[in-house]
Amino acid sequence: MALVVGINVAVSLRLLTTNSPTTLPGFDKLYPLHWLGACFIFISGVALLLAYPAKALTNPVFYLKVASLVTALIIAFKIQMRLQRSSSDTRYSLSTKTLAAFALVLWIVTIFTGRFLAYTNSVLLASRFY
Amino acid sequence: MSDTNVIDFLGGFSQFTGIYGFMNSMWGWPVIESLHFIGLCLLLGTVGVFDLRMLGLAKQIPYQYLHKLVPFGVAGYLINVTTGIMFLTTAPDQYVYNPAFQTKMLFMLLAGINMLSFYGFCNQYVQNAGTNPLPTRIKLVAGISLIAWSAIIVCGRLITYFRPPYHWCLWC
Repeated sequence: MALVVGINVAVSLRLLTTNSPTTLPGFDKLYPLHWLGACFIFISGVALLLAYPAKALTNPVFYLKVASLVTALIIAFKIQMRLQRSSSDTRYSLSTKTLAAFALVLWIVTIFTGRFLAYTNSVLLASRFY
Repeated sequence: MSDTNVIDFLGGFSQFTGIYGFMNSMWGWPVIESLHFIGLCLLLGTVGVFDLRMLGLAKQIPYQYLHKLVPFGVAGYLINVTTGIMFLTTAPDQYVYNPAFQTKMLFMLLAGINMLSFYGFCNQYVQNAGTNPLPTRIKLVAGISLIAWSAIIVCGRLITYFRPPYHWCLWC
C-alpha cells in the first residue's frame, strides 16, 4: 500500500508543484513498480476478505474503501497514459493537475477507511446469522 | 531512571497534555493511526522513490527533480514523530517492553544516521549528477535507507502482535 500510495504521491506532488512547462521525464517508468504494488494489495486484500468475509461485507466503510481505491487506481492509470503521451514541450493542463489533486484526496480517503475498517465492524463471523 | 519511572513519566505527559483523553475518545486512536500511515506514505513517496532512483530505477528522471520533493517527506516524518509520540505516551507499557517497537526504534536510528551520512558525504555529488549513474557508495546509502524504512514499516505492523506475555527486552 505504501509503495502504491508513495509513487502516486510523488507523481501527484511533482505535477502539482511544477509551474514551468517542463515535463516529468521518466516518471512514467515508476509505474511498473506501482502496478506490482497494486497486485500485492489485490492479493493481500482478497486473502483478508476470504479470512473474514462477513466482517468486511457487512461494513459500509469497506465499500467506501473499495470504491475510493478503484477510482484512485483508474486515475493513476489515466495519469500514467498522459505522462507516456507527453512530449518535451508539453505543458500539463489544469485537468491533469485536478486529477493529481483528486488522486491525493482519494488516497487519503482510502487510508482512513482502511484503518477505520478495524474499528467499525459490527459482525465478525457469518455464523452469527445462523 | 527505571522502567517504571519511564512509563510513569510518559503516561503523566500524556495525561497532562490531554493526549490520553483524546486518544481514548471514540475515534481518537484510528484517526491518529490514519495520519501515521499518511505520514508514512509521504515519506516513502518522496524519500523512498528518491532512494529507488539512486539505485537505478527510472533513469530518465534527474535526481534533483525528486530531491525537490524531500521537504514533503520531512513533513511526513514530522507527522509520524508527532503521532508516534501520541501512541507511545498513551500506552507506554505496550511499547517500551515490545520487541517489535524496540527493533523499529533501532531501524529509525539507522535511518537517521544514514540520512546524516547522505547529507554529509553524498548530497552535493547527487545534486550535480544529472541523470548519470551514481557510485556504489551512494547506492549503498540509498539501499540502506530503503531497507531501513521498509523494516520500520514491518516492525510498525508487528507491534500489535507482541502483546503481553510476549513482551521481551534486554533490560526487563
